[in-house]
Amino acid sequence: MLETLPNKLRDYKLHADVRTLLLLRKSMSKGLVKTLGDMYNVLKGIVVKDPEMMGPFTRAFYDYFLNIDIQNGERLNDAILRSETFRQWRDDIKERQKDFDLDDDQLVNRFLDEVHLTTYDIKKIISGKDIFENDDPNLEDDMGDESGEVRHKHLDKMADYSDLSLEELMERLKKIAEQQNSKHSGGSHWIGTGGISPFGHGGAAKDGIRIGGSGGGKMARKVINDRKYYPVDLDAIINDNNVDAALASLKGITEESAHEQLDVESTIKKGLKRGGLFIPEIKNILNEKLQVILLIDNGGYSMDPFIPMVQELFKKMKTRFAHDLETYYFHNTIYDRVFSDSRRFKPVFIDKILSKDKNYRIFIIGDAAMAPYELNSVSLRTYKKIRKKFKKTVWLNPEPTKYWHHTFTINLLRQMIDMYPLTPRGIEEAVRDMNAIN
Amino acid sequence: MANTSFWTGSEKYLCDLDLAQAFHMARTLGMPLLIEGEPGTGKTELPIQFSKDLDLELFVYPVGSKSNVEQFVARFDHVKYLRDSQIEILNAQREEKGLSQKLSTGGRDTENLSDYVVLGPAAKAFSSPNSILLIDEIDKAPREFPNDLLYALSHRKFILPESGEVIEVSEEDMPAIIITSNREQELPTAFKGRCIYHYIHFPDADVMREIIAKHYPKIETKIVDVALDVFYHLRNIGLERAPTTREILNWLKYIKQYSEKEAIEKIENLEGIGALIKTQSDLEKIQKAILRNPDDYSRRSTPN
Repeated sequence: MLETLPNKLRDYKLHADVRTLLLLRKSMSKGLVKTLGDMYNVLKGIVVKDPEMMGPFTRAFYDYFLNIDIQNGERLNDAILRSETFRQWRDDIKERQKDFDLDDDQLVNRFLDEVHLTTYDIKKIISGKDIFENDDPNLEDDMGDESGEVRHKHLDKMADYSDLSLEELMERLKKIAEQQNSKHSGGSHWIGTGGISPFGHGGAAKDGIRIGGSGGGKMARKVINDRKYYPVDLDAIINDNNVDAALASLKGITEESAHEQLDVESTIKKGLKRGGLFIPEIKNILNEKLQVILLIDNGGYSMDPFIPMVQELFKKMKTRFAHDLETYYFHNTIYDRVFSDSRRFKPVFIDKILSKDKNYRIFIIGDAAMAPYELNSVSLRTYKKIRKKFKKTVWLNPEPTKYWHHTFTINLLRQMIDMYPLTPRGIEEAVRDMNAIN
Repeated sequence: MANTSFWTGSEKYLCDLDLAQAFHMARTLGMPLLIEGEPGTGKTELPIQFSKDLDLELFVYPVGSKSNVEQFVARFDHVKYLRDSQIEILNAQREEKGLSQKLSTGGRDTENLSDYVVLGPAAKAFSSPNSILLIDEIDKAPREFPNDLLYALSHRKFILPESGEVIEVSEEDMPAIIITSNREQELPTAFKGRCIYHYIHFPDADVMREIIAKHYPKIETKIVDVALDVFYHLRNIGLERAPTTREILNWLKYIKQYSEKEAIEKIENLEGIGALIKTQSDLEKIQKAILRNPDDYSRRSTPN
């Protein structure tokens, strides 16, 4: 059961595999999953490894367990309101409750509360009845003329759920998964149907007790309506939103180097073996360092939008690591010189750059689009020299990859220097491939 | 038996329900809990308060840029070992010469290698059941550190250097492991995969009020209202380093010694703002904002 869950999660670009299922099963056998709200929390702990994954996770969860498909940019409320699941649940309540006068908003809230009701909430209710006193005043009305005794019965009922065996629980979850596909499953739909499944908490819900601790519901609502929970598009050209993601991929370029130091341990060890004759042993100490040269094409309108972003990106990089980072500019293509200022007044000859340590990493950032005659033999020779001297040279191109093969100069340059799109993913790949070169 | 009860905070510490659940889940599964979030949201406080509240032993490993697994688990004290072995030779020579006075090795025996193994917090925590292990600010660690930890965390087993002694813990006795990170660097995916992950969101005004109440139960609500107003305003104007829980608590600590009227006046004049703002450029930014928008600030001078 739940075999299809990892696939669903992966559809939403989340990491999930067999281990996810094993962990989930383990959590169930430990009694962590008794309600759908528990399921949400436990899965969240297992699957979500980054706050940005919260949005996609919540969507995947609603899709898989509730058959509520939240469209991109849609609010959770709207998605719930138009879903079949919600309609059935509402009809179910209406049937049970004669004096039904909740508006859509209140209904959605109640729906969310039920979906996200966790064992913890239930325990809280059982352990402290004061919640009822503190809960919102409407409660008394909703309760109608039911006596306190009945209340206790409901609580017992809820408590019973925690005694479910793992097998029973699995069985029920399986049903949910099946019901996904057979939409109209009569009265046995899991949610809001008292007693039939632990996920409905029916006894409690149908009599209109507002369950305390609607934290989960609120959270889900917030997550879905808040832009910051959505992952930056890793394939979009870098912009304000994903510059941090790009930065994260850039971090891989810090490099370890070694210097020598007296190795006290092995000096002692070997000295002891020699019977007390100590001869210093030397060991290498690893150091992180970063040597980067940026060559940025800042000529022409095509590059304009990207330059501040690229500079920002590498500036952040620099403040983060405070290492060796040099930036030079060129116009369209590099001939015998680049410029150390963005207005291209102060020339730096390429030979000077070529005289630098060969361990520098070179990032050339430009669209590589120009008139074919611009890319003359001088320029081509320069690229060849750079490539030859600095093994770790890459070209980052803001132009979308699908246009690359239409441009003659891009094709030509690509054959000489590895080219990657100027996207977080592109940068990550570039860095990874760079690191592979030794 | 490890403590797997559900813990929701103590008198001094307001544990957000989501966090409490994630923490419970991690302990029940015997997995480490990885907490990320802005600085000052109480990541490190969780294990500290948990240990205080339930009277459990806490072992802390503060991670730095030079951290390695040796420090974390156990290392072999070569220098002491050398000293003691030299002392043995010396003592033998003294004995030969008929000197009775001997130098002491402090009860350590060079034959017994485990005498020279210095246990790190991890080894200590793993050998005392039902304890808590805090690995603080793992994002400061060198890149290979988290991956090195992976082995220990997934096998629940350490092999001590030189002595070869094995420290093993059953899943039931696994200490509660809390790892915190400020997200200064991305942690390896494989590492995150072995942890239960929780991201602490910055508390909203209501929660903040509760937090403040836990720390300063006697403070006037009106003062808190005005202070929070300023606080969240400052957080929203895009400072380089936005003030956090820790800072507002410090600020209030200063403010609360005054009477209500004085205190509110002080808050409005942004007195003691140094407690909230930590960089020069932020300070300048705020001053500029006040000049540009004096209304925004003077409006508060007539609290109603």
